[in-house]
Amino acid sequence: MPWRIGVDIGGTFTDVVLADEASGAAAVVKVPTTPRDFAQGVVDGLRAAMREHGVAAADVVWLAHATTVVTNALLEGKGARTALVTTRGCRDVLELRRSARASLYDLFQDAPAVLVPRHLRLEVTERVDAEGQVVTPLDPADVDAAIAFIQRHEVDAIAVCLLFSFLNDRHERAVGERLRAAFPDRPVFLSCEVLPEIREFERTSTTAVCAYVGPILQSYLARLEGAVTVMGLPAPWVMGSSGGVFSVAEGLRMPAMAVESGPAAGVIAAALVGRQRGLDHVISFDMGGTTAKASLIERGEITTTSEYEVGGGGNVRRWLHGTGHPIRVPVIDLAEVSAGGGSIAWIDPGGVLRVGPESAGAEPGPVCYGQGGTRPTVTDADLVLGYLDPVALLGGALPVDLARARAAIEREIAKPLGLGVLEAAAGIIDVVNAGMAGALRIVSVERGHDPREFTLVAFGGAGPVHAARLAEELEIPRVLIPPIPGGFSALGLVATDVRRDYVRTFYAPLAAVAPGDLAAVYAAMEDEARAMLRRAGVPEARWELARAADCRYPRQAYELTVPVAGGPVDAATLARLGRDFHERHRATYGHASPDESVQCVSLRVSAVGRTRSATALPGRDKPVGGLGAIRGPQHGQAAIRGAQHGQAAIRGPQHEQAATRAPRRDHAREAYFKETGVVRCAVLARDALAPGERHPGPLIIAAADTTVVVPPGWHSSIEAGGLLALARA
Amino acid sequence: MREVDPATFEVVKNALYCAAEEMKIVLAKTAYSPLLKIAGDYSCGLFDVRGEMVAQGPDLPIHLGSMPLAVKAVIQAFERVEPGDVFIHNDPYFGGSHLPDVNVVTPAFHEGTLLGFACVRAHWPDIGSATPGSYGATTEIYGEGLRLPPVRLYAAGVLNRDVDAIIFTNVRTPEERRGDLRAQLAANQRGVTRLGELARKHGVARLLAIMQEVMDYSERMMRGLLAGLPDGTAAFEDFCDGDGILDNGDKEDRPFWIRMCVDKRGDRLTVDFAGTDAQVPGPMNAPLNVTASGIYCAIKMIADPGDLVPPNSGCWRAIVLVAEPGTVVSAVSPAPVVYANHEISHRVCDMLFGAMAQLAPERVMACSQGTSAILTLGGVDHRTGGRYVSYETIKGGFGARPIKDGITGVASGISNTMNTPIEVLEMSFPVRVERYAIVRDTGGPGRFRGGCGVERVWRILGRPSTASVCLEHTKSPPFGLAGGGPGAPGRIAVGADGAERELVSKGAFTAAAGTEIRLRAPGAGGFGDPAARDRARLRDDVINGYVSPAAAAAEYGNRDADALACPYCRGGSA
Repeated sequence: MPWRIGVDIGGTFTDVVLADEASGAAAVVKVPTTPRDFAQGVVDGLRAAMREHGVAAADVVWLAHATTVVTNALLEGKGARTALVTTRGCRDVLELRRSARASLYDLFQDAPAVLVPRHLRLEVTERVDAEGQVVTPLDPADVDAAIAFIQRHEVDAIAVCLLFSFLNDRHERAVGERLRAAFPDRPVFLSCEVLPEIREFERTSTTAVCAYVGPILQSYLARLEGAVTVMGLPAPWVMGSSGGVFSVAEGLRMPAMAVESGPAAGVIAAALVGRQRGLDHVISFDMGGTTAKASLIERGEITTTSEYEVGGGGNVRRWLHGTGHPIRVPVIDLAEVSAGGGSIAWIDPGGVLRVGPESAGAEPGPVCYGQGGTRPTVTDADLVLGYLDPVALLGGALPVDLARARAAIEREIAKPLGLGVLEAAAGIIDVVNAGMAGALRIVSVERGHDPREFTLVAFGGAGPVHAARLAEELEIPRVLIPPIPGGFSALGLVATDVRRDYVRTFYAPLAAVAPGDLAAVYAAMEDEARAMLRRAGVPEARWELARAADCRYPRQAYELTVPVAGGPVDAATLARLGRDFHERHRATYGHASPDESVQCVSLRVSAVGRTRSATALPGRDKPVGGLGAIRGPQHGQAAIRGAQHGQAAIRGPQHEQAATRAPRRDHAREAYFKETGVVRCAVLARDALAPGERHPGPLIIAAADTTVVVPPGWHSSIEAGGLLALARA
Repeated sequence: MREVDPATFEVVKNALYCAAEEMKIVLAKTAYSPLLKIAGDYSCGLFDVRGEMVAQGPDLPIHLGSMPLAVKAVIQAFERVEPGDVFIHNDPYFGGSHLPDVNVVTPAFHEGTLLGFACVRAHWPDIGSATPGSYGATTEIYGEGLRLPPVRLYAAGVLNRDVDAIIFTNVRTPEERRGDLRAQLAANQRGVTRLGELARKHGVARLLAIMQEVMDYSERMMRGLLAGLPDGTAAFEDFCDGDGILDNGDKEDRPFWIRMCVDKRGDRLTVDFAGTDAQVPGPMNAPLNVTASGIYCAIKMIADPGDLVPPNSGCWRAIVLVAEPGTVVSAVSPAPVVYANHEISHRVCDMLFGAMAQLAPERVMACSQGTSAILTLGGVDHRTGGRYVSYETIKGGFGARPIKDGITGVASGISNTMNTPIEVLEMSFPVRVERYAIVRDTGGPGRFRGGCGVERVWRILGRPSTASVCLEHTKSPPFGLAGGGPGAPGRIAVGADGAERELVSKGAFTAAAGTEIRLRAPGAGGFGDPAARDRARLRDDVINGYVSPAAAAAEYGNRDADALACPYCRGGSA
């Protein structure tokens, strides 16, 4: 029986998902994350999950995992000591950045971190001009001096970025060859290999990020690969920032691709739901304890951005360069806001109710957890409003103190604002929803999409509580909630494809492009892509190569990516590209100039090796939820319980115990909705809902690892595969 | 007290600010000139029916004070506005700031009711005049370029071709300017669309009430924050290098003085410019609303460093400015203004920190680079035969703070534009950047060091180029505070055939092909006694070449040169 396994390392738990390739059934097992050695947690989780579900290593055909090591190394500043080699006169480009400050009025803002300290930034005499012509030859004596310097210093990795190497890489490759020969044991990253794209700061930054995290990723993946090989498991795939997996060898060539690995998995899982349900427009919405993340999925395809900064402040403002390290690789287009169950509500000096960005986190947690929290959080508000079980959360595993939550909201919010406790709690929810709506707006409206055409796929511990109200805010008509919202992200790991994106600068007015030139660049990238897919062992029948071109009006600075048809390139292909560009410009920005010429800037090929899951996992009658047999929640409870009390072991007997505890049956409790005030509201157990039944709101649906709130004006129904659908009545 | 509940208020307030931010994105992504699309020299805002600013995008503080006047000028000039109207203007003496800043104002309606206005102010790299880039040193505003009072560019959706023709006949590289204007129109369209949606969703009356409440809210918060600062009065004075006009055979530009007295009492703050010099012949004269932007920026950073108060017209009701008309901080027509827009607003911003250091020393920063450090180039590109105009600003030091070093190479004070990447610059214009580098020993010494100065060196390629520069703090070094030393002054020089010639800080000149233009943006002042600087930080400064070993000894009193050696270096120094 072939199995696919995915492992998602989160801040608190490592989720292991097992999927039976034949039936599509899946289960999730949670074990505590081991921050000192993540690979250990992965191995623990794999052992536990395989033992519990009787999976033999020989039956595992796919192993993929999402790693946080790259993101963590950047956030914590614990990467390799890196040297950088640049064109003479340009070693400070990395530090001088784009010169805008990140926060306009923050007197005490920090200088952005610099990955390579100034004394390890070395210059060589050479110059290529804007036409790609060498105007100053490379001085070999400078390369000798750089090598000598690096030999005298503790340096673990080297990055090289010379001006205009995206037009002419001769000098950069010459420097690279010398360095690789001199330092065979240290990784050397060249900007022309990592990112042959215009803009020296962004290219240098991307190359430096690769060098900075390269050695750490290498040692981590080597340990992991060794450990799983010993267990008899197949080589692990790594989830990349663009939502596809890559092989270990591929990742070491481009370590920046492993940024945002975990969040990407969640979006992929949501995309799978969209594909299986035949939905053209989906927004994935993942709300946990401290942040909420949203991403757009169109016709089953995720969206990516190459304007991403890693290791900075929240990327809602990523538009303003300034806080993190830009990496110009495709990163799943996530809008992230500091809004989660733990977000703290407060009143600002102007007397206005605010929520977040400060979070009570896991410690002390919301007031109602009784672990020392005193400032009211979103979870406390949910509890006071009657949305959450007033006795205990997580199916009884986590006792809560309603009175304490009420008192905190009354003291901190209601009294100062002259409101009732319920009104204050409802206000907290409205405000946090407004913040999250901002994130959803960024990925929808701001991209020129109408949210009214979308379905929200809501997951994460707090997502289903807030999803319907949030959908109202944006006039999204429908919400889908997967069977185990808390472990949903890991599903993306067993349901994704091998993916790699290629880009080449192709700077020419579209009208002057010879079809043959365009075809040659695409062919070169496609050859590279095919070689990658071949190395990855994906059968040729499942290869998909898609072309695109980045275009703009000649004097603009930002491009729009326009798909280009495959096959032979002729004049008609180019004419079509021009028309499509004008159309996309109009759709995105509200105007177009069809009389103007179009500038082609870069060409792209995305290579996808479809895996069985995406193409042949059970179809529409049995979507992700075919994962019906999920037994995760019980583990989830046990695990969370364990962690609350600092216990590590969560497997075995506890699981048996939890599994036999039936969820509480239907009853009712009082809940507050702004349309109705306090109403007696039915509480249904999710397990007890039968397909085809429709239940009108106000209604609360209790599931083991979350609560679903169905406000007045909405109704719920169970759809095929255990998806819970909420829709406007 | 309130007509709307706190939650709805927060939701609509956020939606207004999101809309202003969306306008900014639309503009950047569709504009044509590097100054807008890459450097981001523009501001976007939403305004009420009286022209008060309700929400500003996360853009330039330089426009804080004068944006409302841009909309009020339109309201004053036109009795009636209708759906589909669009107005354009740039007169510094009637709602503008300096001629290159072109305001486009679009009214927003819902079912025939005026909701307010969207306005984008964008710096066009050229607005005519004798000099490409419109940055020459003239003695009257008539010489500074095309001056447009508020005029209707579109009437009920129909383009006024006469106005359009006048504008594009008077500016260089009109195709590029057209692209910029289209981007401004699109950004405004996005803003008025969002206002209309909010009206549909919440009702016109409710939306209009919330728009007022957003400003009242900012006022309440700002007053609360001001009340938290110590009361008292403080005076500060500083001089500017000059106005770029050399009269009667002068070899040097003539400095002039700005003087301010700050009176902080309760929740009010008054800044009186008594004793400030009379307006000058060259374009260093600021209309009062330009001066106000600099003051507002400093106050916001001092009173509200956490950026809790949404920037809008309400913020500034607690601030009173007193200035004699006809002085450099309150110019009257026809004084030329182009440099003053950023140079005077930069200066008064830094000066307010200097004055407030006497009242609230833990809430201020030492003087930053205090200048926009501008180079414009214009001519014919030998590669294409087409005309070009380039406009760049160079960022040097950000001032040291009471608990932190300054920052190097980042925009300070009223500015927040981005640099133009070398590769983009060289593909767009016939120049080569030979150096873009941090300059050693330019950050003011202090327990906390000021940000370093930065130098950019351009070589002119192919054909001669008409260059103009605008720089300050070439003679008056950016001051330090609390015992910290000043930052190193800025500098502008041209080099050809091995010789170098230093230039006056402002004005136009012709640069032959092959000439190198070297512009150094000043470093920033330090904070606190340099002798108290942490020795590990000093060592890092020396290892990384921000401070020389000689300066470590002379300025910081370091007696142990070996203690500054690089710990990562095996066998010998770098």
